[in-house]
Amino acid sequence: MFEQGMLLLVGEAFLETLFMTLVSTFFAYVIGLPLGMLLVVSDKDGIYPIVSLNKIFGVIINFIRSVPFLILLVAIMPITKIVVGTIIGPKAASLALLVAAGPFVARLVESSLKEVDKGVVEAAQSMGASPFQIMTKVLLPEATPSLLLGFAIAVTTILGYSAMAGICGAGGLGAIAINYGYYRGDKEIMYVMVVLLVLIVQVFQELGTRISRHSDKRM
Amino acid sequence: MEEKEAMIQLRGVCKRFPQKKDTIEVLHNIDLDIYKGEIFGIIGLSGAGKSTLVRCINLLERPTTGQVFLDGVELTSLGEKELRAQRHSMGMIFQQFHLLMQKTALENVMFPMKISGVPKAKAQERAKELLELVGLSERMLSYPAQLSGGQKQRVAIARALATEPKVLLCDEATSALDPNTTAGVLSLLKDINERLGITIIVITHEMSVIQKICSRVAILDGGDIAEIGSVEEIFRSPKTQVGRELVFHDGEKKEAYVGHVPYCYRTVFKGDSANEPILGNMMIEYGAPVNILSGNTRNIKGGVFGQMILQFPEDAEVRGKMIQYLRDRKVEVEEVEYV
Ligand SMILES: Nc1ncnc2c1ncn2[C@@H]1O[C@H](COP(=O)(O)OP(=O)(O)OP(=O)(O)O)[C@@H](O)[C@H]1O
Ligand SMILES: [Mg+2]
Repeated sequence: MFEQGMLLLVGEAFLETLFMTLVSTFFAYVIGLPLGMLLVVSDKDGIYPIVSLNKIFGVIINFIRSVPFLILLVAIMPITKIVVGTIIGPKAASLALLVAAGPFVARLVESSLKEVDKGVVEAAQSMGASPFQIMTKVLLPEATPSLLLGFAIAVTTILGYSAMAGICGAGGLGAIAINYGYYRGDKEIMYVMVVLLVLIVQVFQELGTRISRHSDKRM
Repeated sequence: MEEKEAMIQLRGVCKRFPQKKDTIEVLHNIDLDIYKGEIFGIIGLSGAGKSTLVRCINLLERPTTGQVFLDGVELTSLGEKELRAQRHSMGMIFQQFHLLMQKTALENVMFPMKISGVPKAKAQERAKELLELVGLSERMLSYPAQLSGGQKQRVAIARALATEPKVLLCDEATSALDPNTTAGVLSLLKDINERLGITIIVITHEMSVIQKICSRVAILDGGDIAEIGSVEEIFRSPKTQVGRELVFHDGEKKEAYVGHVPYCYRTVFKGDSANEPILGNMMIEYGAPVNILSGNTRNIKGGVFGQMILQFPEDAEVRGKMIQYLRDRKVEVEEVEYV
């Protein structure tokens, strides 16, 4: 159906998408995990309430999350230029992905950690556990299955963002879909891209669900 | 009797919760001494403040005013860090067990030791011993989801004992369990109290729990201690309305009451009088029947007690004589307004 060159192009785009997604997810967690933990800990019912700090971070996160990704991508271009040195290519897109996904991951982590039964936290407190111990030895381990599910959601969402970033020259499957499918009207290519993206999402989601279920001892 | 040493002392403990508009005071100026080595019961109706009170003992809830002492140490004056250290000597178990769901029974019991810095090998050894103590050696590697309610509570008890506490706080520890399992858990607690000498505080809304294991009991009502005394005392002659309600109608719903019935008396027979047909003899003696409205027997630390709600004859003279007849035979008789 495709000639050799096209196949290579798609293969390369596929890897680009994977790279962008995974790298962005990784860094989104580097930022989002501690941020989510901070949100939980500093909550007014948290294990170390600092309400003002909690409010400030809450507002910033909500602010970033309310800006549609495409607009965010364009809006931070000046910053991207300074940080990455260019505003095109997967690396440049990764920064925007990170800015968008970090707060998203923070909220995912927050909601996973908040699912942990308050009573278990209280039991740990009654044993003399410090807030740090409660976080590392109670909240994170108890929330692991939920965190893993959240991780699958994060990866698939970031994958969606990365496809959008294709518009701004980020490369990857999204870029091919737009360049060939949209600008040149080659519907076939576009559908192939769609199918590929759907497949990747399915794989990540299924993997995440399985690992989560496997790790969960609550049956 | 020798002077009893206090393990826990509450002095003027008040707890208020600030609400949107005003504050509600849940505990009013509680003074309470719990002695070393006893099993002390705190009973009250729902919302009386029992949980709040027990949470004030290990400062999960900081009293708004007042002092809490543990074995002479004023907990209310300690900073967070010192308080955490003191908490190692207080274990707590809960109605809903609150086990770590992603950890095995063994890991759950090791958990408090991990927190207090006990080396892993030692913690594991001790956790195994404790699981044996509560009769769960075989289920060591099970996860809480694989255990029954009673087994979960046993794990929770083993966990609470891990740091060799002086005090064990039990907040409705058997309320989620069926009667058989409850009996098992209660006898385990009693066993622990006798073998390890740990002071135990039992919070419950069921008089039967108190009767099975406690030596003394405080009745909490609307944030005040309404009555306090030996279980036998309180059971034989509760002095307050709540006390009577809890003793007479343990566990039963209010709707089940008959309502106001005239000439009703509650009589308490001590175990040794149960052999003699006192009631029968009395009815023969005065030639008038009494109506038995309800009756049961209870095992209390001091022995076996039978209690009956009786309706006496209308004739005031006969009634008076009958009551005197019973009192002469060491039967407690007390008028009750409702049944
Ligand atoms: N954190 C809180 N904020 C506001 N009110 C509270 C709080 N905790 C408890 N209360 C109130 O204090 C009262 C006593 O509550 P508590 O849980 O101590 O009762 P309890 O005797 O344990 O009842 P139960 O038998 O139902 O467990 C209740 O009216 C409750 O609404
Ligand atoms: Mg309660």
